[in-house]
Amino acid sequence: MPAALFQTALYASLVLCALGLVWRISAWFRVRIGPDAQAPTPYQRAAAACRGSVSVLCSRRALHLLGVFFLDVLLLRRLFASGKLRWFGHLLAVLGFALLLLMHALAPLLGAKLFQDYQATLDPYLFLRDLFGVMILLGVALMLLGRSRARTGFAAPRDPAGASFIALLAIVLVTGFLLEADKIASARAFYRMAEQYAGTADPARLKPLRALWASEFGVAFEDLKGPQTPDLLAQGRELHDKACAACHSKPASAFVAYPLARALAPAMAGLEQGQADVWLLYLHVFACFVGLASLPFTRFFHVLASPLSLLLSGAGSAGEFFPAGRVSRRALALDACVRCGICDARCSVAPLARYLGNPLLLPSHKLLATTALAGGRLLRSGREAETVRAADGAFLCTDCGRCTSHCPVGLDLEDLWEAGRADLAAAGLPRPAQWVQARPAFEWAELLEQIPGKAFAAAPLAACAPLAADSGSFSRCVQCQTCTNVCPVVAHGNGAGHGVDLTPQKVMNLLRLGLRDLTLGSRMVWDCAGCYQCQQSCPEGIRVADIMYELRALSVQRLGAVRSHGAQA
Amino acid sequence: MKYALFLGCKIPSKLPAYETSTRAVLRHLGVTLVDLEFDCCGFPARNFSRDAFVVAAARNLALAERAGLDLLAPCACCYGTLRQAMRFLGEDAALRARVTQALAAEGLVWTRKARVEHLLTLLARELGADVLAAAVRSPHTGLRVAAQYGCHVLRPGEVAQFDNPAAPTLFETLIGATGATPVDWPRRLDCCGDPLHEANAPLSGIMAQIKIADAVESGAEMLCTACPHCHLRFDAAQTGSPDQSIRTMLYTQLLGLALGLPAQSLGLAAPLAPRNP
Repeated sequence: MPAALFQTALYASLVLCALGLVWRISAWFRVRIGPDAQAPTPYQRAAAACRGSVSVLCSRRALHLLGVFFLDVLLLRRLFASGKLRWFGHLLAVLGFALLLLMHALAPLLGAKLFQDYQATLDPYLFLRDLFGVMILLGVALMLLGRSRARTGFAAPRDPAGASFIALLAIVLVTGFLLEADKIASARAFYRMAEQYAGTADPARLKPLRALWASEFGVAFEDLKGPQTPDLLAQGRELHDKACAACHSKPASAFVAYPLARALAPAMAGLEQGQADVWLLYLHVFACFVGLASLPFTRFFHVLASPLSLLLSGAGSAGEFFPAGRVSRRALALDACVRCGICDARCSVAPLARYLGNPLLLPSHKLLATTALAGGRLLRSGREAETVRAADGAFLCTDCGRCTSHCPVGLDLEDLWEAGRADLAAAGLPRPAQWVQARPAFEWAELLEQIPGKAFAAAPLAACAPLAADSGSFSRCVQCQTCTNVCPVVAHGNGAGHGVDLTPQKVMNLLRLGLRDLTLGSRMVWDCAGCYQCQQSCPEGIRVADIMYELRALSVQRLGAVRSHGAQA
Repeated sequence: MKYALFLGCKIPSKLPAYETSTRAVLRHLGVTLVDLEFDCCGFPARNFSRDAFVVAAARNLALAERAGLDLLAPCACCYGTLRQAMRFLGEDAALRARVTQALAAEGLVWTRKARVEHLLTLLARELGADVLAAAVRSPHTGLRVAAQYGCHVLRPGEVAQFDNPAAPTLFETLIGATGATPVDWPRRLDCCGDPLHEANAPLSGIMAQIKIADAVESGAEMLCTACPHCHLRFDAAQTGSPDQSIRTMLYTQLLGLALGLPAQSLGLAAPLAPRNP
């Protein structure tokens, strides 16, 4: 490969990587999530982060952070707690990658300095290179296996950039092994080296050496078949010791490439003809460069963001540099998430997500929706359905905190969810209790009449609200007002300016009159505390509170349909 | 005595002291607690979809059933929700069919085997107030305590099966067992206001304040709770309130102190200050 081409490509990918890093890191100070994120400017946020970092690093907390760095960042303690298989896989892959990078990819820069008498064709390096490559492959395989065990019933969120990066990594590893195998088996390479180091490329004079390299070094000579005589091999070994041994260990220690070279032997003539070594080298090197340039734009940017997140989490409240720091930490979370899905497997509402068929209840999916909302992509027209599902996910979260406590990169997800809910509300998607009360009950009832009845055919009334659907459950109401008299919401709300529009007894009466739609948007239905005083006290045994719960669920469903109908109109 | 501890969502994240003190007290009393992979009881989904709420609840019941255990809920709302779900499953065959199908996808079945107990019913009925009283080492003699039942352990009575929903005595008896004096207060059966916090925060706050004022007026020095929702709502209402004459304490903490357990093991910063005679 021409040096100029190599260097141009290297510098181009380094520049792209650097620009990408600047862009992604600046997002930590640009992206606004949560109501408290609206005021501070990116400059203020960056300044707060710098000041805060310096003050934390100069405090006694720094020692603690050193521990966090070793245990959480290097040894992945939090991942260990979540699953040994993935932990081992991740450790293996990272270790293999880092060592391969140092010893092999950066050989001219570092490898030669770090490793004594480094030669790519000598042991132990010949062996280690294959070992590191296998560590990466095995590590990735273990992580995938661990991932498939933590099933949530939903496919992982689509991530084309991340998948492409993994494909690039696979290309680098496979071409690397193939290239090594090709070089081992290549007769052309043998003659080139022989000329350089033994002073001849004459096949006749090299006969003993050829015999030895064919039988012990895996070179595929087209004109040399079958076993060699011990005499010839002994002569070859003499020559080898003089001219080759200083730079060449037996390639059998390259435990992946050598068997591969043996397997490739019959095809070597064709591969040499087609200059496979050149093609493989180009593929190998350019896949590395493309990977380097694209790294900041994939989820593998977490190599930078996740350690930072862990350190911030370890710094405790000191790491938040209030208030600008907390805001920046949320933006960082979007990058630090590795989409491992451990949170999803632990999520308290995962059974609800499965039953409702809405993955946006699950943390890792919700985080992507939060990213989309922060980037202004969620609220675009044409994505209304997804937006509503995202809001359902946001508001059905019970804040149990299990996602946060199991997050291997230490994200404060509860804080992120709270901020995301506030942003949804600001964008016109508050909790149902809020959006329902934005209109009076009679307006909702009028709007409901305009919705075609078949819009609700998929959710028959008797299935989702059997008590409200069955007149037998409320027709006994004699309007005695006992329910109203015991209702704490009626009692305390009226005196304090939070009065309800209907009373429980009026809600029952509207049901009796067949005016159910009039109740759905009422304050009484939505301000009902569900305390069951009414139901307990009803002399007719009417299940008033149970009906109220049903009416609220019905309200979410039907008035929700009115809302999205309005959005489409 | 062995139960699957159903902590729900609120206790681990917002009131870990309730978990700590429950475990400490029950260990002391010889009750074994088992941790299963429970999820949300279904309560927050009740306003959203009846089916989804019952499925979530039934999954938890089925998990306990598979382990051959009864559930123990320290949260009144989890207790009420799980029992409500059992009622709905019992009376609605079509719902039961849908839920059975959803559970089958995970290899789970619900056959009504697992019972649901609340912490207070376990202490009062399975163990007995007299057993507790006999185990008390440092009684809270003279401490006037108002019992906050929590709506969903009481009502609807036929579902909760807890005590007489109109005139319960179970909690007062348990308070008496610690040596404290239960206080009769007119609003003891009212809602704490917590369920309204999202929908109508001002009204929710008013409801909590009215209850606290009523307890103070009735001479209580302490509001004793057995539900994270009530407890956290009172705590929030008390924060910044000029009247600090009453404190909120979990029943497990009150009992634990009386049993002579160290305050730290109950999630308390310090034991109760000695009372002026």
